[in-house]
Amino acid sequence: MSALATTLYELFADNLAERSDKVFVIDPLDSFTYADVAVDVDRVADWLVANGVGSGDRVIVQLRKSAREVAAMLAVAKVGAVVVNVNIAQTAEQLRFVAQDCGAAAMILDPSRAKALTEAAGMAVLVAGCALGLPGYARWDLLPSPGGTAPAPRLDSDLAAIIYTSGSTGSPKGVMLSHRNILAGARSVARYLALREDDRLLSVLPYSFDYGLNQLTTMMLTGGTIVHQPVAMASEVVKAMQAYRVTGLAAVPPLWIQIVRLLDAAPASFPALRRITNSGGKIPDTILERMPHVFPDADIFLMYGLTEAFRSTYLPPCKFQEKRGSIGRAIPGAEVYVIKPGLGIAGPGEQGELVHRGPLVSQGYWNRPEATAEKIRPCPELADRIGDEPVVYSGDTVRVDEDGDLWFVGRNDALIKASGFRISPDEVEELVHRSRLVADVVAFGVADDLLGQCVHVAVTLLPGADQAALMAHCRHAMPAYMVPRAIHVWPEAMPRTASGKLARPEVVRSCAQRLQEPRP
Amino acid sequence: MALTEALLIDNVRQLSGLNGEATAETPLFSSGALDSIAMLNLITLIEMEAGIEIRADEVTLDNFDTVSRILRFAEERGG
Repeated sequence: MSALATTLYELFADNLAERSDKVFVIDPLDSFTYADVAVDVDRVADWLVANGVGSGDRVIVQLRKSAREVAAMLAVAKVGAVVVNVNIAQTAEQLRFVAQDCGAAAMILDPSRAKALTEAAGMAVLVAGCALGLPGYARWDLLPSPGGTAPAPRLDSDLAAIIYTSGSTGSPKGVMLSHRNILAGARSVARYLALREDDRLLSVLPYSFDYGLNQLTTMMLTGGTIVHQPVAMASEVVKAMQAYRVTGLAAVPPLWIQIVRLLDAAPASFPALRRITNSGGKIPDTILERMPHVFPDADIFLMYGLTEAFRSTYLPPCKFQEKRGSIGRAIPGAEVYVIKPGLGIAGPGEQGELVHRGPLVSQGYWNRPEATAEKIRPCPELADRIGDEPVVYSGDTVRVDEDGDLWFVGRNDALIKASGFRISPDEVEELVHRSRLVADVVAFGVADDLLGQCVHVAVTLLPGADQAALMAHCRHAMPAYMVPRAIHVWPEAMPRTASGKLARPEVVRSCAQRLQEPRP
Repeated sequence: MALTEALLIDNVRQLSGLNGEATAETPLFSSGALDSIAMLNLITLIEMEAGIEIRADEVTLDNFDTVSRILRFAEERGG
């Protein structure tokens, strides 16, 4: 246990004295001890320092799930800089947006991503792999042996990472996490999941996602092992779970659906598996019902959280049968209240907005003080308990049952939540507009068994434009989770409000009605 | 069947992680280019165009990692 660690780098480095020869990371073709990873951390840290990167600078990491991705993040932490991990499935356009928004000082990229940066990046770039035809970029393979860069001293209140996520309005926003936020998350989760030094967690979820990152930080906290499974395909996940005797698996609903269907068709046993966890959305009840049958020996944890406060609640496995589908209660070290605006705290049988208090409350949004003040603010209904201490407003409505367990009811805003990804209708509309094929566009979420919600758009097409061309544009300009499942072509000008704005609710209602009509 | 190499390549080429570059032999999933949602979309397309129903245990890298593997799989299943 890295009991004394106060920074992300210490969380890793405190293992070197006791278990430097223990396997820390298992990749599909190779495994790496804590000491092996430390060598790469130091080589990259030297490169960062040589390129003028220091305390507080932001560094982008966009790598395939691998020991190198882990080493890159820890090297950034070692020099006191802030890790900005970008999902490998994100487009070059999204990478450029994040780099500009956070004012990145350097980037560490997969060769495929480096190639896609057609224009000069304007900053130091390290390429992990073959950099043929990429002049001016440094190559990881050619970095010299460690030169002894010392860890930069940091306060636990300093920033450690920025995680980009969509809000209900505008472009993606960077959620700022301090070292304390990340360590508090690791300690809380390790406690309620009872994680130990002999645990081997399977990492399928990206490290650009707080849920995925926490698997890594909990294994560093306990001195355990993280097993990388870069392919989120149920058959490959099951194979890896058996081959590496995995003790824990974390996944999101679309992956659980595929895994459970696969195991229903082709049962498999996992003698080493201790627990499985879900977060990032609600698993359909038909799948939940099958989980204890396909994983008879594992504890099942249903959890709830949002990036601005990482994790808020979990349902203990002993209550899974009785309360199937509930998100349970506050995790250790966090307080959760259900607020009825203007009235007070919701009691049994009532519902309200979930708010979160405690050391997991993030530092707000990078460079967006107004959006921060809206999301993280004092709660008048809690004033007599905690004064004006800011809490995170989740934007989610939950119901309190007679025992005090919470049940997710729905979102308060227009945010679309597909498979754990939060999608802003504004962002979808902005990207649709860039096609120059539409006059008006309204994006909205439609309930979907697999993803929770999926994206639909209603458009009026410009003269000469067609639906297929618009879909092709969307596939190119958007990450897969954002591409509309359906395009509703509006036959005339869209209705407007008195102030001339699009009458969105009317458009959405009309499309929803048409969806419910029986198909011809 | 209507599932052709050109249609599949056209489709995966549009998927963002590949930035427009794709051939019949480009690794789709093992390269990290396609995530689990892209996979669901691709499976739906294959089922529709080839007129087959794909079982959960058939979704493997052997059958799906490249366009040429997908075509071979669809042909063996007899579309």
